Amino acid sequence: MRTLVKYGYIILTVSLVFILYCLIFNPASWIVYSVAIVFIPLFILSFGLITMATPKKDEEEDRAREPFIGY
Amino acid sequence: MVFLKVYFALNDNMNLMADIIINVLISFLFGSILLGFHRKVMARIQLRPGPPIIQHFLHSLKFFFKETAFPKTSSMPFYISIVCILCAIWIAAVIVAPVLKGSLLLIFAIYAVYKIVEHNAGSSSGSPYGKMSCVRAVFSAASELPLFAVIFIIYLQVGSMNISDIITYQNIHGSLILKLPLVAIVLFVLILSKSPYSPFGITKGKDIVSGYETEHFGLLRGYIMLSESISWYIFSWIFLTIFFGDLSILLYVVGMLAIAFLTGLINATTPILNPNHSVMSQISIALIGIAGSLLLMFTF
Repeated sequence: MRTLVKYGYIILTVSLVFILYCLIFNPASWIVYSVAIVFIPLFILSFGLITMATPKKDEEEDRAREPFIGY
Repeated sequence: MVFLKVYFALNDNMNLMADIIINVLISFLFGSILLGFHRKVMARIQLRPGPPIIQHFLHSLKFFFKETAFPKTSSMPFYISIVCILCAIWIAAVIVAPVLKGSLLLIFAIYAVYKIVEHNAGSSSGSPYGKMSCVRAVFSAASELPLFAVIFIIYLQVGSMNISDIITYQNIHGSLILKLPLVAIVLFVLILSKSPYSPFGITKGKDIVSGYETEHFGLLRGYIMLSESISWYIFSWIFLTIFFGDLSILLYVVGMLAIAFLTGLINATTPILNPNHSVMSQISIALIGIAGSLLLMFTF
């Protein structure tokens, strides 16, 4: 979980840099479309990875156990 | 946000990225309010007070702060990335539709990818409910894509698939809803299929809990709800634009509320069909709509 939060900060920074680049420097349209389609969703995901509450260490196993395995 | 959009719309030198971000924000905010209104209409018809209209929006945000764990049976990182792809395709739809007023063919392609994403979201979770939903997503794709295929009738009438050309055509010849009423009905059935608690909503039928969303909880559920809000706004926007032309902001709001009201009314009074009936009904409506429209076009 802590690794995910760490990744969250990295993705947030990278996506923010790309979005700000497009906002400030107004590059070619295809670059803006690519950045919007790839980095806006990543920005939202990273925001969620940072803000989500994580289970306590000893409860983590119970949370991840799937009660409906197979058919 | 609407005032901001009006302000920027007046500015010809508007930054493209700012345009996209503003449109995505409007899609999310207004789409979630519309889905809240839809739920309220359904509740009122069923003589329940129902949640506040803003509830869908609050839920979307709330889930970002909820405890999130990832099931052992899920196939990581696909389980997370599929919701990211879901959001990405609807952002692509925002770019194609309200920002560029581009081709309906691209929207058709985005819709086809959306059905694949639905399928994969179900299969990535490892839950039998998700897997069942994933199979149903293929079923529904077989019936919803023919529904969407009626856009070729619009091409026959207008001579172009571009939304901007369709708007120009309507400015000269009047609203398309008067010329192609059957196409409008077929596309309305498509919108109805995507509405919550729809009679055609077999991928999220209550018999399979929440379908492909069953194992997507916490952050991932909030993310899916955000994408659904954007998709609902985009569907309403496309329907209004291709059948009524470029409307004023007030008329867009009224039109979108009317669509949410009508779908809410239908969903509240109709049971969810079983997959066979749902698919056959949708295909029948698509065939009747296409054949009827062609007949009308070549007769008059």
